[in-house]
Amino acid sequence: MSEHQEEPKLMIDLVKVSKTYLPDIQALSDVSLSVRKGEIVFLTGKSGAGKSTLLRLLTRMEKPTKGVIEVSGHDLNLISTVKLQILRRSIGFAFQDFKLLPERTVAENIAIAMEVSYTRPSVMQTRIRKLLQRLGLVEKHNTPTSGLSRGEQQRVAIARALANNPELILADEPTGNLDSETTEMVMALFRQYNQQGATLVIATHDTSIYQGTSHRVIELREGRIVARGDEEPEAEAPAPDPALAFADDLFSDE
Amino acid sequence: MNFFLAVIKQTLRNLVQTWKSQLLTLMTIALSVLIFAFFYLLYTNALHTARQLDDDLRLIVYLDEEPSPAMQEEYRNKIQKFDRVERIDFISRHDAFNRFAEQLDEDREILADMPKDFLPPSIEVYPFRSLVTLTKIKRFSDYLLTLPGVLKVQYGREWVERFYSFIKLLRIVVILSGTLLILTTTFMVANTIRLTLLGRKDELELLRLVGASTNYIRVPFFLEGALQGMTGSACGMIALFLLFNWIKLRFAVSSILAMFEFTFFPLPVIAIIILVSTLLCAIGSFSSTRKFLQL
Repeated sequence: MSEHQEEPKLMIDLVKVSKTYLPDIQALSDVSLSVRKGEIVFLTGKSGAGKSTLLRLLTRMEKPTKGVIEVSGHDLNLISTVKLQILRRSIGFAFQDFKLLPERTVAENIAIAMEVSYTRPSVMQTRIRKLLQRLGLVEKHNTPTSGLSRGEQQRVAIARALANNPELILADEPTGNLDSETTEMVMALFRQYNQQGATLVIATHDTSIYQGTSHRVIELREGRIVARGDEEPEAEAPAPDPALAFADDLFSDE
Repeated sequence: MNFFLAVIKQTLRNLVQTWKSQLLTLMTIALSVLIFAFFYLLYTNALHTARQLDDDLRLIVYLDEEPSPAMQEEYRNKIQKFDRVERIDFISRHDAFNRFAEQLDEDREILADMPKDFLPPSIEVYPFRSLVTLTKIKRFSDYLLTLPGVLKVQYGREWVERFYSFIKLLRIVVILSGTLLILTTTFMVANTIRLTLLGRKDELELLRLVGASTNYIRVPFFLEGALQGMTGSACGMIALFLLFNWIKLRFAVSSILAMFEFTFFPLPVIAIIILVSTLLCAIGSFSSTRKFLQL
């Protein structure tokens, strides 16, 4: 597939993607999946089903053994280094293992994603403050992340993923260490970003965050898609939502 | 925040995080520069001294007969044919006698009964003062001996050869210490950067995942290397300057060293040494990041 010149409607397009780890571990087998811009998709399945592998392939942390992956119109098999770097700046990834720098403070960890995009320090500070406020971590602004609980670290990882106003948000078990109240706080934040136009792919075990949802829930089992939820739903039109006010407020500093 | 600000911030952060290994590298670079620059200073001063001593350097060619003006011209041509010289003086038997008498000063009476032409006539050849002359002087002497009517050629042979050996030895030491400087600075900096990279593997991985550009990751390490080179070599030069002045004060007044005029490096030479060290360290850092990051 060639890279499109015009604005693509699909954010993610996977065609018969397989991933095999040596010696012979089949993590994904012939997975085909399309995600429209502005959509929220939940990836579910047991541990080892291939959810995290799929997310890693989407940021080209790993390459597929076969198949084609397009993200935002870019074929990840053919993308140049520079274009991949630019693409990654538009993806917010909340990693399952958080990938926080333990000796750096909460604010510094969140700032990393914005620093590589050369965001102005004053803008960075405003965004960090607002995100911490929203995630209930204001007091932890100057605390090294090594001094935080797992739940707090998870929220910092989420804040970093959202800080750069990404077009695509990938979240790997984002609520794994959170209580129900904080889970709802995080999901509300995700919904706000979605209503701003961001596409979300959330890999999770936590049934509570997608039960009764109108969004697609895709189940993976042994590297294959076994349930697709509603096929290719139309992207939800951003509905008036009080939560939008926060997102507007967050980026109003630019 | 623009690229330069971001990169400077990142460089400073690197330096603060790994200050212990930075300090160690800095000291090694300073020491290497000190060793190299010390021998190089010795070498340049030895050359300077050679030039001073060369003022007395001349070849005295003793002849069996007083040369006629035509013969003098022929000698002159033959000498010039071998090498360009600064000056050629013909000393007659009479002039030689007078000189000798002058040298004897109060004891000149002992020459009273001597014939005034008992000393042989000679040609005094003053070569151009350079190290090249020193290396060629033996061959020059051998050549002069082949000229017709030449009895003997004299020059401060032993002194010249010893001094030349000393300068040759110094040259080898300068080359060796220069090589040492290149190896230490390049490898030490490359190694420090490699250790830093290993220590910050997680951070670098994260930077790549959030879309940091190649230059955003690499330039701070490059700057770090260059900064180490510049600071380390500047420290080395300052240490040498202090050592130089101490030696001058301590030894030069009361010893044979007082005979010679010792000078420190001129500013352009200092700048070149610092610049080369900076460049070497930057190259070391660049190669290290290139290999490790596979950028």
